[in-house]
Amino acid sequence: MGFSMQPYGIQAMLKEGHKHLSGLDEAVLKNIDACKQLSTITRTSLGPNGMNKMVINHLDKLFVTNDAATIVNELEVQHPAAKILVLAGKAQQEEIGDGANLTISFAGELLQNAEELIRMGLHPSEIISGYSKGINKTIEILDELVEKGSETMDVRNKEQVISRMKAAVASKQFGQEDILSNLIADACMQVCPKNPANFNVDNVRVAKLVGGGLHDCTIVRGMVLKSDAVGTIKRVEKAKVAVFAGGVDTSATETKGTVLIHSAEQLENYAKTEEAKVEELIKAVADSGAKIIVSGAAVGEMALHFCERYKLMVLKISSKFELRRFCRTTGAVALLKLSQPNTDDLGYVDSISVEEIGGVRVTIVKNEEGGNSVCTVVLRGSTDSILDDLERAVDDGVNNYKAMCRDSRIIPGAAATEIELARRLKEFSFKETGLDQYAIAKFAESFEMVPKTLAENAGLNAMEIISSLYAEHASGNTKVGIDLDEGVCKDMSNLNIWDLYVTKFFALKYAADAACTVLRVDQIIMAKPAGGPKRDPPAGMDED
Amino acid sequence: MAAMLQPQIILLKEGTDTSQGKAQLVSNINACTAVADVVRTTLGPRGMDKLIHDDKGSVTISNDGATIMKLLDIVHPAAKILVDIAKSQDSEVGDGTTTVVLLAAEFLKEAKPFVEDGVHPQNLIRSYRTACYLAIEKIKELAVSIEGKSMEEKKSLLAKCAATTLSSKLIGGEKEFFAQMVVDAVISIGNDDRLNMIGIKKVPGGNMRDSFLVNGVAFKKTFSYAGFEQQPKKFLNPKILLLNIELELKSEKENAEIRLSDPSQYQSIVDAEWNIIYEKLDKCVQSGAKVVLSRLAIGDLATQYFADRDIFCAGRVAEEDLQRVAAATGGTVQTTVNNIIDEVLGTCEIFEEKQVGNERFNIFSGCPSGRTATIVLRGGADQFIEEAERSLHDAIMIVRRALKNSTVVAGGGAIDMEISRYLRQHARTIAGKSQLFINSYAKALEVIPRQLCDNAGFDATDVLNKLRQKHALPSGEGAAFGVDINTGGIADSFANFVWEPAVVKINAINAATEAACLVLSVDETVKNPKSESAQGEAAASALGGRGGGAAFRGRGRGRGMRRR
Repeated sequence: MGFSMQPYGIQAMLKEGHKHLSGLDEAVLKNIDACKQLSTITRTSLGPNGMNKMVINHLDKLFVTNDAATIVNELEVQHPAAKILVLAGKAQQEEIGDGANLTISFAGELLQNAEELIRMGLHPSEIISGYSKGINKTIEILDELVEKGSETMDVRNKEQVISRMKAAVASKQFGQEDILSNLIADACMQVCPKNPANFNVDNVRVAKLVGGGLHDCTIVRGMVLKSDAVGTIKRVEKAKVAVFAGGVDTSATETKGTVLIHSAEQLENYAKTEEAKVEELIKAVADSGAKIIVSGAAVGEMALHFCERYKLMVLKISSKFELRRFCRTTGAVALLKLSQPNTDDLGYVDSISVEEIGGVRVTIVKNEEGGNSVCTVVLRGSTDSILDDLERAVDDGVNNYKAMCRDSRIIPGAAATEIELARRLKEFSFKETGLDQYAIAKFAESFEMVPKTLAENAGLNAMEIISSLYAEHASGNTKVGIDLDEGVCKDMSNLNIWDLYVTKFFALKYAADAACTVLRVDQIIMAKPAGGPKRDPPAGMDED
Repeated sequence: MAAMLQPQIILLKEGTDTSQGKAQLVSNINACTAVADVVRTTLGPRGMDKLIHDDKGSVTISNDGATIMKLLDIVHPAAKILVDIAKSQDSEVGDGTTTVVLLAAEFLKEAKPFVEDGVHPQNLIRSYRTACYLAIEKIKELAVSIEGKSMEEKKSLLAKCAATTLSSKLIGGEKEFFAQMVVDAVISIGNDDRLNMIGIKKVPGGNMRDSFLVNGVAFKKTFSYAGFEQQPKKFLNPKILLLNIELELKSEKENAEIRLSDPSQYQSIVDAEWNIIYEKLDKCVQSGAKVVLSRLAIGDLATQYFADRDIFCAGRVAEEDLQRVAAATGGTVQTTVNNIIDEVLGTCEIFEEKQVGNERFNIFSGCPSGRTATIVLRGGADQFIEEAERSLHDAIMIVRRALKNSTVVAGGGAIDMEISRYLRQHARTIAGKSQLFINSYAKALEVIPRQLCDNAGFDATDVLNKLRQKHALPSGEGAAFGVDINTGGIADSFANFVWEPAVVKINAINAATEAACLVLSVDETVKNPKSESAQGEAAASALGGRGGGAAFRGRGRGRGMRRR
């Protein structure tokens, strides 16, 4: 403890090494500042023309992406208030799988505007109440903005699916959204169960293979395993599959055991009996009609030998999840132990073949027949970082599909909705009597961030665009947004750019919640981090 | 002190580097150009080689872009992308690795002035993507198909492709010789083309001309036990048994233990062990095989046993060699000697053991299924053979791709000039900024012929102008003109048989554009400090969990640790 200073007040109360910040200036504004900084990082990535970020994480892995969820995930944000924003982004990512950037950027904008209000003299609680009213009203308006007739959709109609998915994919891979959304829609529709609400994101797999280009991307109805077949048989068609989770080998005891041999005959026969046992097992499998054996663990050399002899193809899938998906693809039941499988437990594949794609050997498992619920998008690209980014775009697209299976309502995209919200909310604010009028007005203003960022990222004049958008909306064209290709304002319903209602709904809601949470804090107390034995004494706090 | 208590806003973990904005983009571009400058001079037949001496002290001499990039150990995140595309080109088509790096860097270089002038990178990216698409369509249009030709004709066409690749390598002097060899090798493995079915064996000594192709399998004689000398070294149409078991006296199983109550039984146990091995050996002999190969050891007892019965054996054969023998001879590798049926035995026309340099080689030739080939490379220094192997690998890949896709384009910079012309022409029809960008893309493509000239010591400007004139001829007859590396002028590459598979160019342009776009699309780099586990505990304690910026001493120390 410092020698010139005696602890007093709260410092005396807490263990040394803690940090304690309070008051408007120290806590609230600093918090806002931190959140602002975070949102400036993600903001330039918003929209189709958003720029990528290169993030090198603590493991030295390079990410090149404009997916906000990935960026903030890898950023290792430390500031407690900024972390709330990160959590909001993550919540959005988990709920919808898309729109994380909107959440973080919008929350940042809300806080920035709150700062102005605080400087004007408003109390945070008034801002919070204004913001709460703002978000409630926003949701009301959002409901009204839903495109007529979009409540029901056929999730198996490719055109409808693509029109809803395109905007989300475009914000990740602009200029390639046509190819990608086509692929994603195909993949999703193939695995979509009878009741679309049960759509499982896990059923659309992504296989990344370096080499080639985006035009070489394909869809495989089935799975793509990044490994070679174990034996020499590399191609089987229309065959039954037996899956053994426990490995294909002579069974060994878990407990360490020693075989005691008492006589010469026993020694001579020892190896033979083992051999015969394996042969018997493999023969049993072969007799059951299976042509392919899939093992979840090691394949013994002896077992492999007999598999070759009985012309069985052997695959090894060591990942439990992968094995489960394989079972889903083929309809097989994974058996624990190597034994004769029942006919019911056998799966079926149209073809399994080992192919070389871009210098990598992959096993392609195809199953065109019904009952198959796994589909793989094979992505090609020249570098790993491009592939990772493509994968994220696919993930977003698939999540989007899931979201539209649940709620297919759509609203106009490309900032049309935001401008309309801003306009109506402003009108609403004039009718409020209390001080929160200001807060609602600022809330409305925050929506301008979206068209502004979109325009800025596209190298357009933001102010000009916003004013002409307002003009259009005021004259009743509520679906006018920015056409980024030409840099002018156009009716989005003609260009077919739609956002999903749920995405926007949750993004705005989480953003407002996060902003209010940050504003509500007026005191930060950080305990001394629990450290290992070799910690430095907490310097700085009480030295000098 | 009061100021100290004010926490600074530390959003990110200490030690995180962030850089943002235009300056960041320009610096990324500069880094990429710098990397490309390293490989620049290796392009083309007159390209120079690089000697890379790594921290372990091993020396590599190479002309292969991917090899050089890999060994350079680049840490700059943007420049790493170039390494990635070189690798991807290597795995996808096998050759053109220098081209792809060079193109990517040149695209970026052309983009730099625009970025500095304040053009939004996304505009550039969009134009580049369009240009890339157009270029690829044009290549497809210009490509000449070799499909439907007779085998002989095809072979000579493929040899031309291989020769073009090899001409830029260290073994360029013998390109016809090797091109023929490579084509024969690839053709012999047939449609089921698995790269590992072509073996390349290196034997120092002799000269390149002594290299030869075995239509089958060859591998270095394995370690042999006493009795080996008595074994016959040549067979005609032998049966071949491939094993994956030890033919040696050894304990039967690790977890078996013998306990005897009666000492008189001891001898019977010893006999039993001998019986087991004799039984195994007998079964091998019974099978009728004349050549026995095993992945595991064949002991001296077995060696002598086989020698007595005029059987050749070799133990500890490398896994891949054994697989190749299995594929070539039509046999299957056995894990047991019981129940050996004729079906699992392989055969070949001639088996012999031959002296190559100062090594002895086991050679299986005239194999029935013939799905393998082995190239035995001879040459002076080790590094030389290493490089020759890499060059052959490139050539093999090229021939495989050409065989698969069977379209070729004119090399020697001809195709690049033609695309460049086409894009320039196309650009003129576009209104708006995009015109400039596509023009610069077109200009960037000219780097290939320019570099070819530079590396050969010609006046690049002069040659380029001649080329541009030829390509601009309205009749289109000059479309195949490229740099003539022998005279320093220009020549019809197509007529001179400087050919490349179209897929090489398509992939190179695609990958280079993607990489350039990726670099252009980045406007911020955030580098997190390395993970704590990687940095040791001391640094971890200095860094761990510190929220505010109050810990000045801790921070200073943390930095120090990181810079180790």
